Amino acid sequence: MRNIAYFWREAWRSLSRNRLLTLATVSTVCICVLILGVALLLTVNAGNFMKHLESDVEIVAFVDKSLTPSQVKAIGKELTAIPGIDKVKFVSREEGLKKLQQKMGMEKLEETIGENPLPDTYEIKASDPREVPHLARKIEKIEGIYKVKYGQGVVEKLFQVTRWIRIVSMAVIILLALGAVFLIATTIRLAIYSRRKEIYLMKLIGATDWFIRWPFFIEGFILGTLGALVAVAILALAYNSLISNMQTVFFLPLVAKAEVVNRIYLGLIGVGSLLGIVGTYISVNRFLKV
Amino acid sequence: MLIQFYNVSKIYPNGVKALDDVSLKIDRGEFVFLMGPSGAGKSTLIKMLFREEKPTRGQIFIASRSIVRMKRKEIPALRRSMGIVFQDFKLLENKTVYENVAFAMEVVGAKPNDIKYRVPELLKMVGLKGKEKCFPGELSGGEQQRVGIARALANQPMVLIADEPTGNLDVDTSCEIMELLYDINRRGTTVIMATHARELVRNAHKRVIILEKGKVVGDYPNGEFLA
Repeated sequence: MRNIAYFWREAWRSLSRNRLLTLATVSTVCICVLILGVALLLTVNAGNFMKHLESDVEIVAFVDKSLTPSQVKAIGKELTAIPGIDKVKFVSREEGLKKLQQKMGMEKLEETIGENPLPDTYEIKASDPREVPHLARKIEKIEGIYKVKYGQGVVEKLFQVTRWIRIVSMAVIILLALGAVFLIATTIRLAIYSRRKEIYLMKLIGATDWFIRWPFFIEGFILGTLGALVAVAILALAYNSLISNMQTVFFLPLVAKAEVVNRIYLGLIGVGSLLGIVGTYISVNRFLKV
Repeated sequence: MLIQFYNVSKIYPNGVKALDDVSLKIDRGEFVFLMGPSGAGKSTLIKMLFREEKPTRGQIFIASRSIVRMKRKEIPALRRSMGIVFQDFKLLENKTVYENVAFAMEVVGAKPNDIKYRVPELLKMVGLKGKEKCFPGELSGGEQQRVGIARALANQPMVLIADEPTGNLDVDTSCEIMELLYDINRRGTTVIMATHARELVRNAHKRVIILEKGKVVGDYPNGEFLA
């Protein structure tokens, strides 16, 4: 308990003694976390956008015109029973026609053609959009359904692309985090280097490694957290103004849920603290080999 | 026996043979000079005592414990039983005299009350009463070494190890420092001192071990060294 006060006092003393280095490290962490945060927000938004696209994917099943209404209903029941299907919506041929008329802007399409050419359809949403091609094949086999459409080919491509975007952005984030650790390790190494005589002396007097390490860990923790706090403040300001300004102009579907965004901010602060501690760990051990 | 060296050799990675088959014993309460020209292996021998260096071959016992086989986490306890005095004092420039001595107690986790009690006592003993608030830069070389000695004694060591403690001091100041070391020895602390100041050693009438090219070439009991 006595030592904890000593550790904090020593950490604080070192921070205020090496103001320039403190500033340099805090800025380094700040920039790293800022880049990390931008990358993270981009990824989250890209993910959100992709989910948007993916959830638009639906299967349309065309029902044979010769079926009686009760048979059509039975197909609906059969569809709902398939595992992995989220929603099944029945669109009767009359509704289908209305929609088509609206879409084409022709009120009296039926009169022009003479009869309603459309079949009854089911619009089906999968609980996991990636299962769509698989489900579509299953649905095709149901008796009374003569055709299934879901944007064959295009959908498979879309999922391939979104998967790659996810992998690449994860890799970029990991690389950035590694870079940040390296930079922090270097800056903290400088802080330790300026105190190497003191550390050597402590070792020869008989201080334990942990006794020497703790103040540096606290220092790294403070530097990391401080840098991350500044970065998150900048990020939050920028992102909030982006949401309030851009959304109205470009209709970007930005992630604005406080719950999600706050979790990202908290995570970034945690990452900053962790970077400070890991960076210190890498640096400090080299000076304890006496 | 407090310190025992058995056939200790040290070869540095660059091939330099600093110690060559050294065997010696030092008893509790002794005052021992380690003499020899520069490069004879004095510093290497001293660094082995507090395990800054490990021997390439041979065995070292301190208070009957092998420090060659000692685990890393046992080293602090070994060092706490020793006080080390350096040629260049190694004082922390941004700490006062008081803080420099208190530092040695802080880093081994001493109680604040013990520190408050012991530091003034130590400073009085080495003759630095009244200089508590000075910074090392404001002191003479002799005074700085007194701070170094007070710091070395802070944790009541069994052994005081001094590597050329008078190397940076003039003759008169050196004699004063020697008197202080004899005084410490009289109070029961074993003292091992490396030096190449012959005049100091000649007048001391203490045990003298002579190293040359890494070998012990002479070991004279109290008063027999007259070179």
